[in-house]
Amino acid sequence: MSLRAAIVGCGKIADGHVEEIQKLVPKAEVVGVCDRELVMAKQLAVRYGVQGVYDDYAKMLAETKPDVVHIATPPHVHKALACQAMDAGAHVFVEKPLTLGYADSKALVEHAERTKKKISIGYSYHFEPPAQELRELCAAGRIGEVVHLESFYGYNMDGAFGKALLSDPHHWVHAMPGKLLQNTLDHALAKIIEFLPDERPIVTAFGSTRRDTRYGDVRDELVDEARVIIRGEKTTAYITFSGSARPVGHFLRVYGTKNTAHLDYNNRTCTLDLVPTLPSAVGRLVPAFEQAAQLVKEGARNLSRFSQSNFHFFAGLGELFRLFYSSIQNDTPPPISPRDILRVAWMLDEIFAQVRLPQSKQAHTTNGAELEVKA
Amino acid sequence: MSAMLVTGSNGFLGVATAERLLARGTKGVRFLVRAGSDRRRLDKVMAKYPNSDARIVTGGLGSPKEAALLLDGVGIVLHLAAALSGPSAEMFLGTVVTTKNLFEAAAQQKPPPKVVLISSFGVYGVADLPKGHVVTEETPTERHPERRDHYSHSKLRQEEVAFEYHAKHGVPLTVLRPGVIYGPGGGAFSARVGLALPGAFLFLGGNNLLPLSYVDNCAEAICVAAENAKFDGDIYNVHDDDLVTAKDYLARYQKNVKKVRNVKVPFMATMALSHAVEWYHRHSKGQLPAIFTPYKTRAMWKGNGFSNAKLRSIGFRPIVSTDEGLARNFEYLKTK
Repeated sequence: MSLRAAIVGCGKIADGHVEEIQKLVPKAEVVGVCDRELVMAKQLAVRYGVQGVYDDYAKMLAETKPDVVHIATPPHVHKALACQAMDAGAHVFVEKPLTLGYADSKALVEHAERTKKKISIGYSYHFEPPAQELRELCAAGRIGEVVHLESFYGYNMDGAFGKALLSDPHHWVHAMPGKLLQNTLDHALAKIIEFLPDERPIVTAFGSTRRDTRYGDVRDELVDEARVIIRGEKTTAYITFSGSARPVGHFLRVYGTKNTAHLDYNNRTCTLDLVPTLPSAVGRLVPAFEQAAQLVKEGARNLSRFSQSNFHFFAGLGELFRLFYSSIQNDTPPPISPRDILRVAWMLDEIFAQVRLPQSKQAHTTNGAELEVKA
Repeated sequence: MSAMLVTGSNGFLGVATAERLLARGTKGVRFLVRAGSDRRRLDKVMAKYPNSDARIVTGGLGSPKEAALLLDGVGIVLHLAAALSGPSAEMFLGTVVTTKNLFEAAAQQKPPPKVVLISSFGVYGVADLPKGHVVTEETPTERHPERRDHYSHSKLRQEEVAFEYHAKHGVPLTVLRPGVIYGPGGGAFSARVGLALPGAFLFLGGNNLLPLSYVDNCAEAICVAAENAKFDGDIYNVHDDDLVTAKDYLARYQKNVKKVRNVKVPFMATMALSHAVEWYHRHSKGQLPAIFTPYKTRAMWKGNGFSNAKLRSIGFRPIVSTDEGLARNFEYLKTK
């Protein structure tokens, strides 16, 4: 059975959604795109050959009768749009962050349970090929028990998204309770969540603004450095978010009782820091070559993936879609459990409560619609 | 006296336009900039004309409501603001949606202000026209802008939005379509000359004529259009009189700035390469971007003639010759 997919929200990330869904043909097809600004829906539809173009969400749901709706709007409307889609009989894939806070996320997940619809979220990094390798290492017992996790998320404020935030005081990111951190730390948390069994670990966090502030408005409130310590019963984690450290790192280290794994998302490599087995000076000489050999092997794997046209920018998102769509077709559990989605949402609230985040009473989206912002 | 609003006045063309307006003694000009933007170049221009009544206003075109705040007392808008790069969605937000917001606000004014829209040569659909076709204002626009590039796509839709408001709501409109705007502060090479790759420059333009518009001349054209255009949906190509070829441009650059290791790629070879790139892009489902496609190549490097006769008919004369413009540009590039 081919699943009919529809997209609401035709901004930049919608390109990735359409591209990856279209790779699932014949298992899925995009039947409609919707944006309250019709110009945006049209530009997406014409580039990807989508027939249904709408600026009325209810009309799209009624006319295209999608099996899955991808919510790619700013997060302040995720909950309402997702509930509307589920009420119309569709499963939902929601872009991150899921909602503006834990309470809304919980309500959304409960709505999915009530309507017997599946929900997933765009935590795509942990579905990229090297992340799957990490899972295989864990399953094979190479890591042992997880002692500690280190998730590093570097950020470039001079990049396209950073520039967009800093050039527009009305950007939707400024209206979120966690601001930029809400759009970034969830990725960092999503990477560690499956290794962290605790329901409610102790979360300690602080943040700061390192760059020069010069706007005199909400843009100066963006926290660009944050550190988080998570303390579970047997497993702990550090999370680093840095807008200044260079190069812009993006990795996860999993410290196990047997070996330590290093997953580099930028380079798409997964390597092990192995426990030395050779004595004395030889034991100090060999590991460098061992590390180099692992990297060569990973490079060769990536080359192989490239030669098979399997090395796309949105590889993780595509794999996540494939697994989610399979879970719908086979009525099996979704690739990211609702429990993990909610644990991430809960930890985000804990972090924002501790990091100093001044809240403007009112903010605007880029299209000028007024938003109520949690104070 | 009604005021003049200039959007995008802090950009490459915007600053030059500000200078021309002030030099011509234009009264009641408001230069729109975004809050917090680096406006040192614009401030420098303003400082040269201390007796002018021009002022800088901060704001944006993020919504019709925001745009309406800027139009109070405005009789004419020079609409230069546009996104120049980035993904399609960002270019549409920065170019088309903002233009729609501006025109929506303009349509509510009684009477609506006149608008000079700065569009682009990129809207012309020259891919399927024969080599040497002279591009005039009568040349058809792109039928498939999405196959060209995001910039051309967004600029064509921007024009469509403007013409829609002109037709349905009576917003007086004149459209200018500049060719390659160049000058100090801009880049070294237009894609019409070639593409800079790491270690080598792919010289693709050959003996094709470049529709160059020195930035001060383009600014002058905007001023002339604001004064003399009909605002009945009239369109004007903007480029200079004494155009040079891509080959000549590259030779002068190498003589005046620095040597460039370049690889000359004839048009037929570029077409063959384009077919290969497009095939791989499709085969790999977009693993590498389709930088070259046969359609883009035909549009960009087949070679056209150009005419600015219509612009000249309303009084435009370049204020800087191409020789002088190139000399100034190369002098600037040498210092970079």
